[in-house]
Amino acid sequence: MIRMKNIRYRYPGTGWVLKGIDLSIQRREYITVFGSNGSGKSTLGYILNGLIPHFFNGTLEGYLAINDAGAFPVVGTVLQNTDAQLFSSTVENEIAFGLESLGLPESEIERRIKEISERLHITDLLGQSPMDLSGGEKRMVAIASVLCLRPSLLILDEPYSNLDWHGIRQVRSVLREIHEQGTNVLVIEQRVGGFLRDATRCIVTEHGKIIFNGSPEDSYEILRRNHLVPNYPKRCDSIPACNDPLLSVRNLSYRSQKKEILKNISFEIKNGETVAVIGKNGAGKTSLVKQFNGLLRPTDGDLFFQGEKIKGKATSQLATDIGLCFQNPNDQFFKDNVKDEILAGARAIGKNTDHAFYTICNIFHLDSILDKSPYRLSEGEKKRVALASVFVMQPKLVILDEPTVGQDGRFREVLASLLDELRTQGLTILIVTHDLEFARATADRWIVLHDGRLIADGYPRELCRDEYLVRIGAMIRPEEDEELIF
Amino acid sequence: MAILAVFLTRRPETLLVQCMILLFSLPLLGIGGALVRSLGLICPMIGLIFIITLLFYDVQTALLLSVRLLNLMTVSFILFRVSGVEEIGNTLKWIGIPHSFVFIFTTAMRYVPLIGQKIRNIMDAQTSRGIDLRPKIKNAGNFIALLMPLLIQSFVLSDELAIAMETRGFGRKGRSIRKMHPLTGLDYSLMAIGLGFLILFAWWENG
Repeated sequence: MIRMKNIRYRYPGTGWVLKGIDLSIQRREYITVFGSNGSGKSTLGYILNGLIPHFFNGTLEGYLAINDAGAFPVVGTVLQNTDAQLFSSTVENEIAFGLESLGLPESEIERRIKEISERLHITDLLGQSPMDLSGGEKRMVAIASVLCLRPSLLILDEPYSNLDWHGIRQVRSVLREIHEQGTNVLVIEQRVGGFLRDATRCIVTEHGKIIFNGSPEDSYEILRRNHLVPNYPKRCDSIPACNDPLLSVRNLSYRSQKKEILKNISFEIKNGETVAVIGKNGAGKTSLVKQFNGLLRPTDGDLFFQGEKIKGKATSQLATDIGLCFQNPNDQFFKDNVKDEILAGARAIGKNTDHAFYTICNIFHLDSILDKSPYRLSEGEKKRVALASVFVMQPKLVILDEPTVGQDGRFREVLASLLDELRTQGLTILIVTHDLEFARATADRWIVLHDGRLIADGYPRELCRDEYLVRIGAMIRPEEDEELIF
Repeated sequence: MAILAVFLTRRPETLLVQCMILLFSLPLLGIGGALVRSLGLICPMIGLIFIITLLFYDVQTALLLSVRLLNLMTVSFILFRVSGVEEIGNTLKWIGIPHSFVFIFTTAMRYVPLIGQKIRNIMDAQTSRGIDLRPKIKNAGNFIALLMPLLIQSFVLSDELAIAMETRGFGRKGRSIRKMHPLTGLDYSLMAIGLGFLILFAWWENG
């Protein structure tokens, strides 16, 4: 159906992003394309759907043929960022947008909206605004808005990013159905997951070239070797945590706009511990850690840091004690070089951090990029800079909110060993995540949140087999985890 | 039309009556709570206007101007609350404004809450690493830390939006419009009655 021969492409002002791609796609295929950040996999998608050369400038060379007797559009694309993909005020209008673009008559549009919403089980969502949906639901609507155009090839750019195990399962089963009903599916991902078992073919890209093209069963070896499946390092022996609590939370509740977000939470974190806060999206994880440095203030209950109440202290002043690093590094870059960027916080509160700066640059391997602009870095480098700008304040407690989102396997490995190194230096670390595999590799203790309640607190090995937790959906057994295939 | 009415009002008593009518109509439409929540943004603005007019004119003018502004904002608030963005967009199209301009308007409206969310995220991220962004004079220099990431992320978002639209056929010729709300006799008569009231009101206020 699609044939590519020796395709080379570069964006204006960059080197070759694709360096000779040979690929053909037959009918009724389910292809997964894996590659680390910057391997050229998204660019490959742009060529297939025609954005290159029609939307992006740049140099394209090679031979590409798309043979299809069917109507426009041949290729439909679901983008990674659902906020950009969903731009209408209701789900119904969102699905209608593409159909209107095709110039279909009103009755046909209504019929297709009904058909697609039943097929993807989103009939209840039609009247809602895309803003109010959960991550998994947004992804389903995004798929619906493209699939209703009846493309013969559906390309999905990182459809599983930012989803918890519940969302991943939802999207996976829908993609399987779509493939069974006769649409070609091409999933571009940097994370390997259970969906690889549904695929008919697996492609691995690296540095703009296809380095593997074969059956999923034969791909495991190469996926591991290319760190697409993270190979987490063994941890150093754990240092026994001191007994004095660094942070204690007592009967904390939090309400926002009459909704109870956190309900009566109590626990303690001891000096030197590495703890993971686990829970599905929307369980209240981020709301909980925002209480610790005063971004949110509890409606009820108390918080103590080193025996002192946190209440009444300004967040920016707390930054030297409690560092909090959020998911998206782009939220904080505003300087024109990495060095100023890392030191911006320390300078703002007048803290001298020269010594810590060099240590941190060393640990995070930033010496070679200190003069670069933070915007021009790769995703992994960006994340390292964002982390360094928090660590350089030398906080006693560091909180990382979803550190693995949008990061490839190689970075996850690096981050795990970095955290291990910092832990042996006596730092207390709190990791907020729904990436259970990462949590297993880094934390000795898990705190499980579900629906705003703390429902479990203990050793990872015991918690992930807890019948009750699994039954209510607050936990998933390792063998059922969609993110694990080994 | 209600907006025009607010502009046309001259006498202070009528302005207060308008205010009362608006306040009573809010719970009827079931959106009182939403307005109270957005008062946090409206109040400082009105306060600022009040202070400026107080300094340059007198108390009475300042009060009148503030109430007038409050009425105006409430009316536009009701308009945007009870009619969907696409409805307003379709009406604009009906008036004869080209689709691309209407699309700019509807999409901008859709992204207002998202940008609000982005601003909150950026503020959280910056304050967490020691850059104080609370609205105080001594923090004025820090606001570049909010503006730069916001600007750059907005550019990225608009780029991705363009891709999303492109892949779903934006700008193709022969676009169809679904679910036009055709104007019925009822709409026309309501418009006529409204216009009649407006003329009567203007005559009574100025006469």
